[in-house]
Amino acid sequence: MKILFLCVFTILLFTACSNKKEIHPNKDVIELHKNNISESEDDFDDEFSNEEEDLDPLKYYNQAMTQFNDVLYTYALSPVANTYADVIHKDVRGIVSNFFSNLMFPIRFVNNVLQFKFQEAGEETGRFLINSTIGFFGLFDPASEGFNLKEHKEDFGQTLGYWGVGSGFHIVLPIFGPSNVRDLIGLSVDGILDPTFSTEKKSWKIPDNLEKSIGLKTLETVNSTSFKLGQYENLKKDAIDLYPFLKEIYEQKRNHEIKE
Amino acid sequence: MKVLLKTIFILLAVSLSLHAIEENKIKEVMKNQIDSILVIMQNKELDKKTTASKVFSLLDSIFDYKTMSKISLGKNWRKLSAQQKDAFAKSFEKKLKFSYMDKLDLYTDEKVLIKELLKKKKNRIQLYTDLLGKDASFEIIYKFHKNKNNDWLIYDVKIIGVSIIQTYRKQFSAYLKNNTLEALINSL
Repeated sequence: MKILFLCVFTILLFTACSNKKEIHPNKDVIELHKNNISESEDDFDDEFSNEEEDLDPLKYYNQAMTQFNDVLYTYALSPVANTYADVIHKDVRGIVSNFFSNLMFPIRFVNNVLQFKFQEAGEETGRFLINSTIGFFGLFDPASEGFNLKEHKEDFGQTLGYWGVGSGFHIVLPIFGPSNVRDLIGLSVDGILDPTFSTEKKSWKIPDNLEKSIGLKTLETVNSTSFKLGQYENLKKDAIDLYPFLKEIYEQKRNHEIKE
Repeated sequence: MKVLLKTIFILLAVSLSLHAIEENKIKEVMKNQIDSILVIMQNKELDKKTTASKVFSLLDSIFDYKTMSKISLGKNWRKLSAQQKDAFAKSFEKKLKFSYMDKLDLYTDEKVLIKELLKKKKNRIQLYTDLLGKDASFEIIYKFHKNKNNDWLIYDVKIIGVSIIQTYRKQFSAYLKNNTLEALINSL
């Protein structure tokens, strides 16, 4: 029993000692020394980038456009999407979302191929064939539910990134929100493949003028926003300064998507 | 005697568990921590404040708020007095916690999957996890560093590729170009 006590006592003493590093005659010297080590060993600067490193020639325009988009979202898109969500049942909105997503197949297919993701491109083709037929023109998504074929989102901005093209400077687009030179080029190339957008009559495009294109895009945007109500507001609460906040999130997220 | 032994044993166990995470236990400790957090969050009987304080007490033992503050300010950190550093670190910690609590509101019944642990450097480790929701899953990476007491603590969290601390760092340096630190602390 005595031995046990002795053991416990020794252990306790030992831990107590190790916790009393601070009480030391040369406390300041040691602290100083420790700080020096931690400054050099724990330098996080190479892991994190600084604001000065960003090329931002459109900064003032971007700041203004961020404010514009914020107002547009808060006072137009969000209330419209809210009402839309109240009126249209979730299942119906799901059908609308399936329909648009199925039509975007050409963009996903081409960009998967351009990034040599042949397995994904194959799965996308399978999805398109199944959902366009059994899924009744893409209104339903039996490919995910019955065949376990998942969507593989890729766009031409990501393809350019995959090929090693840098992002270029940041551009905030009206309505679309944050973007950059690379993704703006990507957006216009994807527009060629997008069946829901055309300014003239083409056999495989749905709209034949700009107005109809805008109408379809608006429906798609309101519909997809109705699934994300409150998310932007919630995210915005974390911002100290909205423009650099959204910019940083966009660029980091895009880099992540390109690496995937 | 038995009681005494029991007490000593409990004391020892507690004192051991109070020590921060060792390298080979990161996965295990994080799994326990996240599971406990999920249990607290799924308990709908607790009010928001109790939930938050319970979750925070769990987070406090694994998050290194001081280092987070330091990184988020970048080179501005070195310009501050010890007092300013403390004041900033305090309000930044509060901001991080409240923003986290806010996100709890969005929380439905997600599950967390602990994936692999990657050692990046001798004093850096990343833990990959997935937050599995009903429709989608999000990748969350916890970034650990080894501090001078050889404890592993979290200094950054990456959610679907977006680093929380990096995002603050960019905003802070932009903000501090035109504003004082006091203004920044007030805006947190």
